[in-house]
Amino acid sequence: MANSAAASGDVKRRTFGEVLNSDMRALPVIIGLVALWVFFALQSNVFLTPQNLSNLLVQSTVVGIMAIGLMFVLLVKEIDLSVAAINGVTSVLMAKLVVDYGVSPWLAVTVAIVTGAAIGSFSARWVTFVGVPSFVVTLGLGLALNGLQLVLLPPTARYGLMGTGIDKIAETKISGITSWAALVIGLVAFAALVLSGIARRKRAGLEASLFSRFVLPLGAAAIFGAIVVTILNAHQGIPVVVLIFAILLGIGGYILKETRFGLYLYAVGNNDEAARRAGVKVARIKMAAFAIAGGIAALAGVLGASRALGVGVFSGGGVGGGTLLLESIAATVIGGVSLFGGRGSIHAALLGALVIGTVQNGLNLMGVENYVRLIVTGLLLVLAVSIDKLIEKAMGQQNF
Amino acid sequence: MVKAAATRGDVHAANQSTPLISMRNIRKSFGSVHALQGASVDVHAGEVVALVGDNGAGKSTLVKIMAGVFGFDSGEYSIEGQPAKIASPADATALGIQTVYQDLALCNNLDAVQNLFLGRELTGPAWFGRRIRRAECEVRAREVLTRMRLGQLSLTRPVGAMSGGQRQNIAIARSILWTPKVVIFDEPTAALSHSASEQVSALVRTLANDGLGIVVVSHDIHNFVVNATDRIEVMRLGANVASFKSSEVTGEQVVNAMVGGNEAVNLAG
Repeated sequence: MANSAAASGDVKRRTFGEVLNSDMRALPVIIGLVALWVFFALQSNVFLTPQNLSNLLVQSTVVGIMAIGLMFVLLVKEIDLSVAAINGVTSVLMAKLVVDYGVSPWLAVTVAIVTGAAIGSFSARWVTFVGVPSFVVTLGLGLALNGLQLVLLPPTARYGLMGTGIDKIAETKISGITSWAALVIGLVAFAALVLSGIARRKRAGLEASLFSRFVLPLGAAAIFGAIVVTILNAHQGIPVVVLIFAILLGIGGYILKETRFGLYLYAVGNNDEAARRAGVKVARIKMAAFAIAGGIAALAGVLGASRALGVGVFSGGGVGGGTLLLESIAATVIGGVSLFGGRGSIHAALLGALVIGTVQNGLNLMGVENYVRLIVTGLLLVLAVSIDKLIEKAMGQQNF
Repeated sequence: MVKAAATRGDVHAANQSTPLISMRNIRKSFGSVHALQGASVDVHAGEVVALVGDNGAGKSTLVKIMAGVFGFDSGEYSIEGQPAKIASPADATALGIQTVYQDLALCNNLDAVQNLFLGRELTGPAWFGRRIRRAECEVRAREVLTRMRLGQLSLTRPVGAMSGGQRQNIAIARSILWTPKVVIFDEPTAALSHSASEQVSALVRTLANDGLGIVVVSHDIHNFVVNATDRIEVMRLGANVASFKSSEVTGEQVVNAMVGGNEAVNLAG
């Protein structure tokens, strides 16, 4: 009797909140993004040209990459307000090593990323062992790093990176057959991963629909990828920075969706006490999340420096993180990562960064003043968090 | 029907096998607070033992020592006749002692399979990032749920979207996933409706029939404790004051022993 009651409870249709909370969470963001594109396409003839779309994508990469890192921290219900400062100070460190000490760009970039990760893990240690809330630790640390950034800069307050090799990262584009080969490699890796999962399910005698699990996602990825590559090839090819962003999205998606570490991030973000009792080393998971955010912020700093052909006071958004910090957090949250922990998928970083990038790019094309852009971005952030909160209410669950 | 308070010795004499868990004269202090002052409990295979007592009686401390959350100052704790070396909850788990916490300790954003295996996922190699072997986990989860007659429970819905009874069942399923010897239930029916409580009672009995030893801490004396357990250990001020066969006692008698209005208290005191 009781069993049949339980069963009927399971087969009932999912509530609106549950649908929004699951795979369909991205839908409102995608609809919003399409609406923005339609709006800007109507406002400016230039908006939908391959050149502008390529620019838009490149403009979105730094924020998008920052968002990938921040996502790991938000998933464990913490926040890192020092990511922009890490971005700035490590890019200046990298430039100093290259310009002042003649260190090879590869080594300098590696040092920057490792330093970023070390700073992140330091914040996490402070948060987990001393028990100070992460927003306080990272806010303070961020300001300290801003100071350090000024110390590292030369009297001219700027390191030019032209001709150092670092500038090549932002300049390089792959086009023609190579660009298509890159897409095919990505699709093959995706297909192999999905197929191995399906094979396991079949072996275990579980349901494994080839269409819904393989054909549909791979087909969608192939079509989406082909459109992006075609557009980018119509204007010089795929910028390497975009390729790096795509690779990070792929790796991030694999970690979050498939691995034990990814699962622990969600578990800790929702109920760290339950995770601890289940044997999850909560402090270590949080430290890894902060380290990833720091390392990725440093990588974003390198890419930003390469695009700007130099570093200075302005690197990392300037003192206090400026708009870079706000835009990174906004992108993550607008994309669908919950500020309340334990919820969000990797595509949030892409979608959120595209929304931020589109607003910036579109309003620039319309010749709108910068303050309007700030107002719009700020309001978008509030809107996104409000939607998140409303979903929580629709679920009928606090802390879901 | 004869309903009489029995001494602990009488009840134990009825069950001669080596107990799965035997705790003798356990003492535990937190600073100047003497939480346990010589508490004892035995748990045999196939037996459901209730630990009851007023707030501060020491029952929670006793089960937390059993589960490895706390250590103890003096006394004997043995598992299947061997002295237990338990320094952490993980040690207790390794020795076959599982706990179903009152708050269930579930992650609401994860589904049933992910909650069942949390902390003990079946994974692939380290070089591949410890990819979770989801299909195998799912098969194993389905087996356990089917054994609990919950074969139709969804494996893919987040548990936060499930009813209180279903969530309780998942917490119980998690405790028996790795074939434990003893399962400790902390207030299993506190937040449940009457029908869900009955379902839990039935499950507890099923587990005991499978040969597990069950320890239940509960305030639900009149329904759950008297009807769903075999033996009732009453604690007061950190020590045992009475032991009853559940079939031979009324809720009133148990409550009397708990609050000290019964001859049994004087006997033990």
